[in-house]
Amino acid sequence: MIPGKYRSVSGRATNNVNCGLHLVIQTSSLPEKNKVEFKLHKETPSFPGRLLQHDLERNYSSRQGDGRVISPSPRNKSSCISSTTNVTELCGLEMKTTTSSFSAFGDSSIQTPSKSRIRQGCHSAGPNVSGEHINLVSSSMPSFPILQRSSEEKILYSDRLTLERQKLTVCPIIDGEEHLRLLNFQHNFITRIQNISNLQKLIFLDLYDNQIEEISGLCTLRSLRVLLLGKNRIKKISNLENLKSLDVLDLHGNQITTIENVNHLCDLRVLNLARNLLSHVDNLNGLDSLTELNLRHNQITFVRDVDNLPSLQRLFLSFNNISTFESVCCLADSTSLSDITFDGNPIAQESWYRHTVLQNMMQLRQLDMKRITEEERRMASVIAKKEEEKKRESHKQSLLKEKKRLTINNVARKWDLQQQRVTNIATNQDGKDSDSPSQDPCQVDGSTISAFPEETGSLDSGLSNALQGLSVTDTYLVEVDGDTLSLYGSGALESLDRNWSVQTAGMVTTVSFTFIEFDEIVQVLPKLKIKFPNSLHLKFKETNLVMLQQFNALAQLRRIDQLTVDPQGNPVVSFTLWKYYVLFRLSHFSMQKINGTEVTQNDMIMAERLFGILAHVASSELPQYRLISILGDARKKQFRYLLESKGKKPGIVNEENNDSKRLAGENTNRATLNYTTRDFYNEKLEEIKEKKKFCKTYIEDLVKEATEINMKNEALQKLWPQMFIELVRDAVIEIRNKNSYMKLCLQKITDQK
Amino acid sequence: MATEGAGNLASGSWRVELGSCAGQRMLSSERLALPDYEYLAQRHVLTYMEDAVCQLLENKEDISQYGIARFFTEYFNSVCQGTHILFREFSFIQATPHNRASFLRAFWRCFRTVGKNGDLLTMKEYHCLLQLLCPDFPLELTQKAARIVLMDDAMDCLMSFSDFLLAFQIQFYYSEFLESVAAIYQDLLSGKNPNAVIVPTSSSGQHRQRPTLGEAGMLEGVEASLFSQCLENLCDRHKYSCPPLALVKEVLSNVQRLTFYGFLVALSKHHGINQALGALPDKGDLMHDPAMDEELERLVVRSRLHRTSRQHRAEEPGAFGFQRRDKLEAPERVPSASATTPYPYRWEPRE
Repeated sequence: MIPGKYRSVSGRATNNVNCGLHLVIQTSSLPEKNKVEFKLHKETPSFPGRLLQHDLERNYSSRQGDGRVISPSPRNKSSCISSTTNVTELCGLEMKTTTSSFSAFGDSSIQTPSKSRIRQGCHSAGPNVSGEHINLVSSSMPSFPILQRSSEEKILYSDRLTLERQKLTVCPIIDGEEHLRLLNFQHNFITRIQNISNLQKLIFLDLYDNQIEEISGLCTLRSLRVLLLGKNRIKKISNLENLKSLDVLDLHGNQITTIENVNHLCDLRVLNLARNLLSHVDNLNGLDSLTELNLRHNQITFVRDVDNLPSLQRLFLSFNNISTFESVCCLADSTSLSDITFDGNPIAQESWYRHTVLQNMMQLRQLDMKRITEEERRMASVIAKKEEEKKRESHKQSLLKEKKRLTINNVARKWDLQQQRVTNIATNQDGKDSDSPSQDPCQVDGSTISAFPEETGSLDSGLSNALQGLSVTDTYLVEVDGDTLSLYGSGALESLDRNWSVQTAGMVTTVSFTFIEFDEIVQVLPKLKIKFPNSLHLKFKETNLVMLQQFNALAQLRRIDQLTVDPQGNPVVSFTLWKYYVLFRLSHFSMQKINGTEVTQNDMIMAERLFGILAHVASSELPQYRLISILGDARKKQFRYLLESKGKKPGIVNEENNDSKRLAGENTNRATLNYTTRDFYNEKLEEIKEKKKFCKTYIEDLVKEATEINMKNEALQKLWPQMFIELVRDAVIEIRNKNSYMKLCLQKITDQK
Repeated sequence: MATEGAGNLASGSWRVELGSCAGQRMLSSERLALPDYEYLAQRHVLTYMEDAVCQLLENKEDISQYGIARFFTEYFNSVCQGTHILFREFSFIQATPHNRASFLRAFWRCFRTVGKNGDLLTMKEYHCLLQLLCPDFPLELTQKAARIVLMDDAMDCLMSFSDFLLAFQIQFYYSEFLESVAAIYQDLLSGKNPNAVIVPTSSSGQHRQRPTLGEAGMLEGVEASLFSQCLENLCDRHKYSCPPLALVKEVLSNVQRLTFYGFLVALSKHHGINQALGALPDKGDLMHDPAMDEELERLVVRSRLHRTSRQHRAEEPGAFGFQRRDKLEAPERVPSASATTPYPYRWEPRE
């Protein structure tokens, strides 16, 4: 039985290898040495398991921090036996020291009054001494043995009685020992505390390692100061009401699930609840003198109420289930706490663990058995500050992100509404078109707008209603993230007018447009070119790209390496030809990627094959006056090139040539393929219509005049031969009579004189 | 002085128009039968004169630089060549039959390669291609053309280039005519006689009751002979261009009854009508344009060179080198483009 117990003890030692080893060697952390020590334990089976156990537990506690009591150095090299003597000696010393006497021993059940006794035990090295000192006499009562001691014994140990390992199953009746102050029932099989109510002077009661299931029979022991009930089967803390002067309460190794019925123990200094089944720490108020609380090896997930313990200095929470600092945050409010352990908890694995604890508990002097240095504290505070900043930053970030999300949603909603309206108008327009296909579209446009005022009106109000419902009133979003400039909503385009810092502007290589009409984008492209000269990658999403010709507008940019057109909101992407058209039209950029796909030489050739003729026709077959009008102002300079090289008269005087140089890079025969936005185009059509009207009347007048002249001419032509004949006849008649004619002539001459 | 100028102008354009459009069929007696002004208007001479002046107005600064006479020469030359419609507004493109034919031809020439590549495209995509040549080309016309090729409920289907082009040709060139035809067809369907020609009661009765599913194949549409009669009537008084009546009759004589779209499909597939229209080559030759192919080969080779030269350039450091190279390169590129200009391209549309 006993060896088995040893084994179990040593087994526990292996479980807690670290602690056990540390305990014996104390400062050394070399595993070999630990092993050696451990072996020593094993090899001395006769060595009292109690001591071993004590040693273990004590070492836990001493490791946990009371360096000032147990000086590690002498025990480092000591053999097992010497170490035990040391222990006992130390215990003795302990006894003499003041308040913290028990604290060093954590859950140990070894106590000082039995100093000599233990020493004896050790020296005799026997498991027990029963025969020597004590006679257990069967009493007259059937179940309870009656204990009697020899008179010498009584004299020698007048105030103490040790009944270790007596295989007792019940408490014996102790007669004539009313003066007893120390009673030891360690390592028996007692199931119930009985027959000691007469020992009213009892100060120290040790029931370590028994089978007690309930705390009872103690109500008369008013002077009891130390109650050791470790390693029993207690499920509940109870029946301690009268033990007002209790100083040490050891309940380790039981099955207690909650802390209760201790609030009246105002003198209690040490409470050991290690190795129980506690799931949380609570209900501690009233324990005003408590300086040490051992809660190791439980299943504690959170700690409360510790800030109500004004004297608490040492708190051992090793090997529990604490995973966040929040669950133990009341510790931060405790002013007296100087020593704490968290090792063996999930929290101790976290990278932030140590400095967080240090930062929050400035009063600590030791954490996990390590003295806290000033340096460490400083580091902790620095880290904590950083953390704080980071947190604030991330909070700000998440706020921003949220705001961004809301704004984007808002923009998207607005966009959707707008799109709906646009399609409505478009369908209306189509309807109109079918009515009068020969009509000018711009006129159609105008008439639809006037024809459906109610509809647009109602949509407008719907839109504003929707907007009012939104908390975020921003209708656009501009974001610069690294090298990406993201624009959401058409309002964002105005941001291009802003004064961007040279650095930012230079860094931006990707510009993304979302929820903006492509036509609106086209208008700001020149600005984009100037403000963000390094933009190489353009992204379009929900921009209403519907026609191939819209890509023409991109040709005016400085350079594009990549183009990404999201199929969402850009129907043009569904066309099989769009990529080739882009490649063809923007071939002067030598683009690298389109929608993330690498552009190959074959793609380029394919593009040329598909659309080369279009460019050729556009450039070589357009009459020159058309070329001029199509190329527009910006391109005239470039066109001048064409003219000059064709050996014709130069078009316009060129004052600035930077642009033309650049444009020369663009394949000239493609320049004729350009894009004017719908609004602008409609304007132009309107203008053309005006001109046409004028031309019509002008030509009409001209032609009328011309036909009239023609008619007169023809009439004259008809008349002329007859007239000529008549004229000749008249003349002939006139000169028929030669004499009279001569006379007439002479008459005329004289008259003239 | 001004009068004289106008007179010259008028006669100048006249000649061009006679050469290109009227052809030899236009007899001088016929011309003399009409007052001058009406004659000019009817032959669309006025349209071109107006447009020429309009263009002149639009670019007066530029044009005054290189001469008004030069401008008029170029303008009327381009009208003759059919290149005047490139990138023009739709109202102009559809203004005259000649413009329509020119546009059809330009479309065919520019995008023949797309068809040759074998790509089947959707109506919308064809529309985009049309818009490349005419930015405000109405979607509605493309839709109508697609409806000739596709079933009503399958408008998103893919079409081959030649199918679309031939259907589009009919729809675009004869769009007014087709509208009148559609009206007649509807009238016939509902039993009315648009031309007040006596309709046999039996057939009108047939049309009133919508054909049931079983006999749909038989009774769908209208009777061909009746339809043909109506069309004949229409062609006589129609002031817009219509397909040659003989050919229409030929189309109609082949069948007993037909639907409107059946009629359009037959028209679009009719080789004679295509010939009569004269804008496109025969269906078999639609993919065939050796001169342009040759040109295209040259372009492809050049673009390859261009690309490689660009790549070289990209390796060169500094943007300035980049620009300078471009400047040097530009003149040598241009002659090759201009060299192709005198490419003899003249075609005579028939009316």
